[in-house]
Amino acid sequence: MYDNFANPWTIRLKWLYLLGVVFALMCPVFYTIYISFNEHGFGARIYDFTFDWYRIVLGDKLLVVSIKWTLYLAISAVATTIPMALLSAKFYKRSRHKVAFVALMMSPLFVPADIMGSSLLVFFKNLSGFFTFLSEVLGIGWLEGWFDLGFLTALIGQIIYTHPYAFVVILITMSRYRTQQTEAARACGASAWQAFWQVEFPQIRVGVFSSCAFVTILSFNEAVRTGLLKGGFDTFSNVLVAQMLNIGMSGESYAMAGIMSIVSMIVIGSVLIYTFLRAEHIQRKARAMAEPVMSE
Amino acid sequence: MSNPIETAVEVVNLGKKYGPVNALNSVSFSIESGQYYTLLGPSGGGKTTLLRLIGGFIRPTAGQIFLHGQDVSHLPPNKRPTSMVFQSYALFPHMNVEKNVAYGLKLRKMPRAEIFDKVNWILSLVGLEGYNERKPHELSGGQQQRVQLARSLVLDVDILLLDEPLAALDAKLRKDMCIELKRIQEKVGITFIHVTHNQEEALTVADRIAIIADGDLVEQGTARDIYETPQTRFTAGFIGDNNLLDGKVSDTNEKYLTVDLGYTKVNVPALSSRLTLGQGVSFSIRSELLSLIESDDFNEDGWQVIPATLLETIYLGLTTSYLVRLADSSEVVVRKISSGEKHSKIESGQNIKVGWQTDHARLHIN
Repeated sequence: MYDNFANPWTIRLKWLYLLGVVFALMCPVFYTIYISFNEHGFGARIYDFTFDWYRIVLGDKLLVVSIKWTLYLAISAVATTIPMALLSAKFYKRSRHKVAFVALMMSPLFVPADIMGSSLLVFFKNLSGFFTFLSEVLGIGWLEGWFDLGFLTALIGQIIYTHPYAFVVILITMSRYRTQQTEAARACGASAWQAFWQVEFPQIRVGVFSSCAFVTILSFNEAVRTGLLKGGFDTFSNVLVAQMLNIGMSGESYAMAGIMSIVSMIVIGSVLIYTFLRAEHIQRKARAMAEPVMSE
Repeated sequence: MSNPIETAVEVVNLGKKYGPVNALNSVSFSIESGQYYTLLGPSGGGKTTLLRLIGGFIRPTAGQIFLHGQDVSHLPPNKRPTSMVFQSYALFPHMNVEKNVAYGLKLRKMPRAEIFDKVNWILSLVGLEGYNERKPHELSGGQQQRVQLARSLVLDVDILLLDEPLAALDAKLRKDMCIELKRIQEKVGITFIHVTHNQEEALTVADRIAIIADGDLVEQGTARDIYETPQTRFTAGFIGDNNLLDGKVSDTNEKYLTVDLGYTKVNVPALSSRLTLGQGVSFSIRSELLSLIESDDFNEDGWQVIPATLLETIYLGLTTSYLVRLADSSEVVVRKISSGEKHSKIESGQNIKVGWQTDHARLHIN
């Protein structure tokens, strides 16, 4: 709602403040990317643009393997978290005790990353020991090794971390969906799955894909929990953190940080641009259909 | 059980509880095939609950539902021979009109050519030929309801459920759509079950009306029966512009009861059931059957006359309503076709009489 009597400078100042906040938040990221293309690294007086640091990073087999593990984790996290979050959101809509349900879904957010990671570490250690014991008692060999630190435990840690975010994003999109449409689809002869896939999902698709992007970025950037639960392999963020702690910020470190930032911004940027363009398209169509304003 | 061929819907002791709340209390009735049946009642009375139970959208807590003789109480909506038109527009916004209407047919894996023909035929039936490519947001409210209707009718179901389909339309459009619905129902010949809280809507479309209130089936009958001869006090108070008067039985004979209103006694046609002296009763008279009597020596046979005071005259165009206070301070409304000067000389506060023909009153036992 626009206030016709408001001072236009108030609106301008609000926009200036908003842009200032975004600039302050993004400044370190852009600076890191800027440095990552400097042949002489951080602090050098001379700036020579180069892709060399990126070539070194992407030519390092160990780093490439860590990128692959990170991608595997991210894809697996999306594949498991999104359906879970979707089911959670649908259950929320039917639940009578909404506040309690939301508190339960959001509770992992209130636990610091290192506490969550170390708690899960202890939990998986005990669980793994239990499965080993079961395997010995029952003589079933394949029970041994379950929940040893590795891909599965790292994945579970990431699911617990990303699920609340995915749940909230999907829930917001679902809030605009009318359940009468599901009933109408059922009344036309659709099964529950058909009603969801053919009627509901097309309308919440944007929220689901936004959640996918969100979970990908969260997974890509997650270091603490994954570092404690991953076992024998390395993820990209773990390598970056380890390098920063052991060697300090080298040219490769800046390039690695640049890769993560650029990937994140491309993903988020794509979602934002697509959403904006789609909204513009819908508004343009609505304006074309609207009655012309007649002056008296 | 009734003849399954002639009976489209039979509901036996149907009940629905939400925790401690009884949304529906052991309701039983049947609907003939091809009938336009309306569930009418105040908001929150259980009409929509009953409709949704018949449609399979909620499970009953008690009782059974038979559709064409088959017990469907345990079946989901997509397994029942019903379809539904919803109150708020339940069109699929990401599909155009053609795809919305064709949706159910596609689920049945019907050939494309056949779907195309059926969709076009049904759109012409509801007066929307040429609207195939439009999206729901490009349609008016009435057009959206027609698309919903088309989507349901194209499935060739036997029973169509309509949940307050005209509630969101303006008065003029609602009237037009009422007539349209009736026309379509007569043309396709299937059973319609229509929920509404609007009396005019119910009286316009219905072959039979069931009054639902507080989870109970209060009364059912044809539109004329419900309007002209309501059996229960509730129906009399809910339908039409009825005036309800309370009193006690002071005398009885075969044909009439004498009811003591406290300030006067009047005769009311007796019911078949026996009443005792002193028993509390109510009777109703429709406002258009009351007359204002200015003459002090009015004495016609077959009329009941009671003293009153005119409070207010309200001109409503076609009709004029006269708000009148009786001797016990209760108020009644006399409604007449506006006919120029007939009662314009009576002033507010003036003492007059209100009269009606004896046989026009309907007795209700409290």
